[in-house]
Amino acid sequence: MRGDFLNVLKEHGYAWGPVVGDGPPVDPGTIAHGTTVLAMKYRDGVLVAGDRRATAGNLVMHDRTDKVLDLDRHSVLAIAGVPATAFEMARVLDHSFKYYRRSQLQELSLDGKLRALSTLLRNNVPMAVQGIGAVAPIFAGYDLATGSGKIFFYDILGAEFEGVEYAASGSGSPTIRGVMYYLHRWGPQVIAQLDATDATVLVLRLLESAAEFDSATGGIKKGDDLYPVVKLVTSEGIAPVPAEHLQRLYAEHVENRRV
Amino acid sequence: MFEEPYRWTEAVGNRRAYVDAQFAQGSPVVAVSYRGGILLATVQRGIPKLYEIYDRIALAGMGHPADLETLRATALDMAHVEGFSRSPSDVTVMRLVKYALAPVVKRAYEELFRAPLVAKVLLAQVSQQGSQDVFVTLDYDGVFDQSGGRAVLGATPAVADAMLKRLDRAGSMADAPLDVALPAALRAWAVGDLAQREDREPDPPTDDAVEAHLKTICAERGLEVALLDREAAGVSKYRPLKSAEIADVLVPWLGPDAAAR
Repeated sequence: MRGDFLNVLKEHGYAWGPVVGDGPPVDPGTIAHGTTVLAMKYRDGVLVAGDRRATAGNLVMHDRTDKVLDLDRHSVLAIAGVPATAFEMARVLDHSFKYYRRSQLQELSLDGKLRALSTLLRNNVPMAVQGIGAVAPIFAGYDLATGSGKIFFYDILGAEFEGVEYAASGSGSPTIRGVMYYLHRWGPQVIAQLDATDATVLVLRLLESAAEFDSATGGIKKGDDLYPVVKLVTSEGIAPVPAEHLQRLYAEHVENRRV
Repeated sequence: MFEEPYRWTEAVGNRRAYVDAQFAQGSPVVAVSYRGGILLATVQRGIPKLYEIYDRIALAGMGHPADLETLRATALDMAHVEGFSRSPSDVTVMRLVKYALAPVVKRAYEELFRAPLVAKVLLAQVSQQGSQDVFVTLDYDGVFDQSGGRAVLGATPAVADAMLKRLDRAGSMADAPLDVALPAALRAWAVGDLAQREDREPDPPTDDAVEAHLKTICAERGLEVALLDREAAGVSKYRPLKSAEIADVLVPWLGPDAAAR
């Protein structure tokens, strides 16, 4: 198939989705997991955010992990699961999309990008079911063809679901989904019509709430200058919200809680 | 048939004459470093001649479209496999030319029972500093040449030489903005296009002839201009320029209505 980077890699001896051989079982508690990520539509496109923590069992492996990865000019992958697999998946997709655009002289369609991600997840099933390579990503992008933001989320076996307004994945996601469901249904404003600032304040509050109930979700540590990764995906491309902006919004709208 | 050495030499010579003749109708290419990155310019005859190869690398070509496609695909495959397996910063034009393109071109040229690749290419690589921009040209016989600052493709070495002289006459473009560098590049292109139509060692065309030629070309055919934009956000620096973005530059040849075209 023309423009398929995985085929080119295969010709050069690279295989995606290695099958684990016989041997003593691996304790999943020793493998790092990225935790909470979410995406939601807002007025100009899609906002994607993730906390910064990677855990292995009870251990905090790293508190400055970036789990919202740019795939191309208009799409990002937010990862929850085993970072080793997820980062490699993002690298394959990043090069696959670039290779397609450069060799076929046109952007890969949004459907084509989703298909590519599903294929990687499907080929990763042996790792996922053995408990050492499971990834449940969120794919968020701006569809130039329809002029709107799109959100898709996946289970670890590769099943694809479209998030109409929002999606969350990882250990802190139940809290976020609960709050989002409430806001979406009965909240004072339609979430998809929030502006960038209000949407950013909302995700800071959501991640703070998730950290309150889930020890694996890294909260915001003002003293350590540690804030979530927040990216805005619009028709103009991907814009990370700068840390100083997050700092200001946190001080003005998140810290000043009622109780 | 080729068992005697002089027959083989003669056959290679014939092949050179055959291939040279194929390029005379092609459109030259000019690439030059300017303040904002690298500018590549040519005149299109239906099929694009400027391509993105990798994050900081562009390819421009002259010759048969199918042969050009073979070289483009070879460069794309090596660049992406290397960039994925090692790191994007390890993908350089010199490695692409030395280890991927030149051997393929040379082998095709010397295998006398098969058709040669009728294509010559120019690869440009933008860097943080203009002084570190790299240009490599690869001829149809596998000979390649590296230069800094600027490079051109013309039908013959004499044509390329005339284009370079014209480009150098305009002065260093290292600190020039796009609206200075692009006219200089287009004038060098016109020198090449006029020179390679002559069936003799080209005398440089006069300035009047160059301006008149550009007037005709700009009115009748499509310019193809692309940048490797040093300051572009993100990893991919290649960007084709739209007609509206170069309209102001074309005013000397199309008149004040150029922007409205």
